[in-house]
Amino acid sequence: MKGIRGISQLSRRFYVAARADQSLAQPLAGIKLSPGAAHTYQDVHVTRLPSGLVIASLENYSPASKIGVFVKAGCRYETPDNQGVTHLLRLASNLTTKGASAFKICRGIEAVGGSLSVTSTRENMIYTVDCLRNDIDTVMEYLINVTTAPEFRPWEVSDLTPRVKMDKAQAAQNTQIAVVEGLHEAAYKNALCNSLYCPDHMVGNIQAEHLHQFVQNNFTSARMALVGLGIDHAVLKQVGEQFLNIRSGAGTTGAKAQYRGGEIRLASISSLVHSAVVSQSAAAGTNEALAFSVLQHLLGAGPHVKRGSNASNKLVQGVAKATADPFDVSAFNASYSDSGLFGVYTISQVAAAGDVIKAALAQVKAVADGGVTAADLTRAKAQLKGQFLMSLETSEGFLEAMGTQALADGSYRSPEEISKNIDNVSLSDVANAAKKFVSGKKTMASSGNLIKTPFVDEI
Amino acid sequence: MMSLAARSGALSPYLQATKHTVKSLVFPGATELVPAAAPGGIRLAHTDLKIPDFNDYRRLEVIDPKKSSQESSEGRRAFSYLVTGATTVVGVYAAKTVVTQFVSSMSASADVLALSKIEIKLSDIPEGKNMTFKWRGKPLFVRHRTEKEIDAEAAVNIAELRDPEHDKDRVVNPKWVIVLGVCTHLGCVPIANAGDFGGYYCPCHGSHYDASGRIRKGPAPLNLEVPYYEFPDEDTVIVG
Repeated sequence: MKGIRGISQLSRRFYVAARADQSLAQPLAGIKLSPGAAHTYQDVHVTRLPSGLVIASLENYSPASKIGVFVKAGCRYETPDNQGVTHLLRLASNLTTKGASAFKICRGIEAVGGSLSVTSTRENMIYTVDCLRNDIDTVMEYLINVTTAPEFRPWEVSDLTPRVKMDKAQAAQNTQIAVVEGLHEAAYKNALCNSLYCPDHMVGNIQAEHLHQFVQNNFTSARMALVGLGIDHAVLKQVGEQFLNIRSGAGTTGAKAQYRGGEIRLASISSLVHSAVVSQSAAAGTNEALAFSVLQHLLGAGPHVKRGSNASNKLVQGVAKATADPFDVSAFNASYSDSGLFGVYTISQVAAAGDVIKAALAQVKAVADGGVTAADLTRAKAQLKGQFLMSLETSEGFLEAMGTQALADGSYRSPEEISKNIDNVSLSDVANAAKKFVSGKKTMASSGNLIKTPFVDEI
Repeated sequence: MMSLAARSGALSPYLQATKHTVKSLVFPGATELVPAAAPGGIRLAHTDLKIPDFNDYRRLEVIDPKKSSQESSEGRRAFSYLVTGATTVVGVYAAKTVVTQFVSSMSASADVLALSKIEIKLSDIPEGKNMTFKWRGKPLFVRHRTEKEIDAEAAVNIAELRDPEHDKDRVVNPKWVIVLGVCTHLGCVPIANAGDFGGYYCPCHGSHYDASGRIRKGPAPLNLEVPYYEFPDEDTVIVG
């Protein structure tokens, strides 16, 4: 009797011993949680590997998973002899890799109903796959192949030229893209002046060697982040340790962006004049950048009510006094790791272009001179918080937020923390930001029939 | 932080460029439907699928895609149905022939069938005489009748017979009577030229048959069986 009891107690003791190293702070692996489970099981976990690779994940128990590889390899890291290589890289994500042919990548991802896409900003390149939870291994294999082991076969790369032309043609149809690209080209001397799209003189001149070189120099572990949504952190960490450690080191450091402030005028026969007037603002991650964001919403950053009257939009109300024709105006704000641009973006009729621009700038000057009430500030903060929090509602938005934060400083700030930071922005911060814009050297980019559009020194 | 600042505002989509390699969820109303949007993934039926030219296999009336096919539809239908019907009929006959050939191959072979006939030379049998042959395992009586016997048999009143049959119904040529020599009572072999009626007499139970092989007296119920026979010429008869 005692012996039998002893045996069962022994097995229980072994069970406990086996679980002794199980951390009480980590969720148990392989357990399905009921909806009423504790909140801590859905925290974002961030780990930094010794090689510099940052791994961030959130297990939200959703049926579909999203995994992204974020690389600091945006178009600011292009050099003068390989301008446009990131555009080619964006298009080259389906080409043959060392572990999978182009056909296998396409067929394999399609077979599980997944998607693979590449997004590139000026700072980062983001490779994203999404699929159902159970098919993670399959699509992960393709993602790793595409990001770490592309072959860039010369005939496949040369086949990309017509697609580059098609891409550029489609982008050229969109005036906002043309103006934003022109704005950056005029505002900076280097790095951030590079365009997201391949320049005309380089179409057909980017070879496979350029792509190889760019990947060698920029796709290093220290500049990458592996981010997952709907996946276990341990699994992602294992993948990161095993597969994304091939290129160590920091790669080539990008040049520091130098703001110059210039003008670019893109004449066309369009009856709508798009114009952006900006000045240098602050680098992302600083409190000043947050002040500029609040200022953006204070002035007006797009309509909040569809087909509404934009009653709370200072810019729209100010410009409405200057012209009766259709127009649109919003504050423009872009922050990068070492610089930023802030200003106004106007769309107006040909004859009213100058009045609209001047009225918009006058509104900003009014804010700089202290014409802002506390109620306005509260409203602007609420709008900024609302827009930020609502962008986290979609899986794409959340993944992007996690990834850019992981890449920028290797950590994740919770939405609550960011909301608190937004609340701490004061009226003087906002006024100083507006003063910085008013007094700073202006950059201007205009497009359309520019007969009545003033030059940058006339506004 | 960077994501926060960089994403707010109406112009944030223009600060980045996205290319899909494989896109599995293309909702109706999606803006990027061109194959260049996801060259690895999207195939559009109206541009990417090439249908080969099948004109070599089409009828003349339906080659022109702009002409309605309604006018020629009746003619085409009639032709098709006619050909199908004719083929079906021919097919059915062919099938029936094949099946009967195969099934009949299981019936008796020629040598067995050959054993079932007997050919008799009639000039060997004198008048008034009865000759016995073995045929199909049974005795076969071939009797060359005299004129007197023929007339006597023809004049018999059929109403008196147990098994009424006129003589002319039992013979092809009245001179020759060919019957099976098996008594219809219990199967003994009758004796020729015996009995009270000038025909046959069965010794087993006393059945008397006449010169035509009909039962006249005795326990037998029926007349002697007449097999099938024919006269290919004057001198021979083939029985069976």
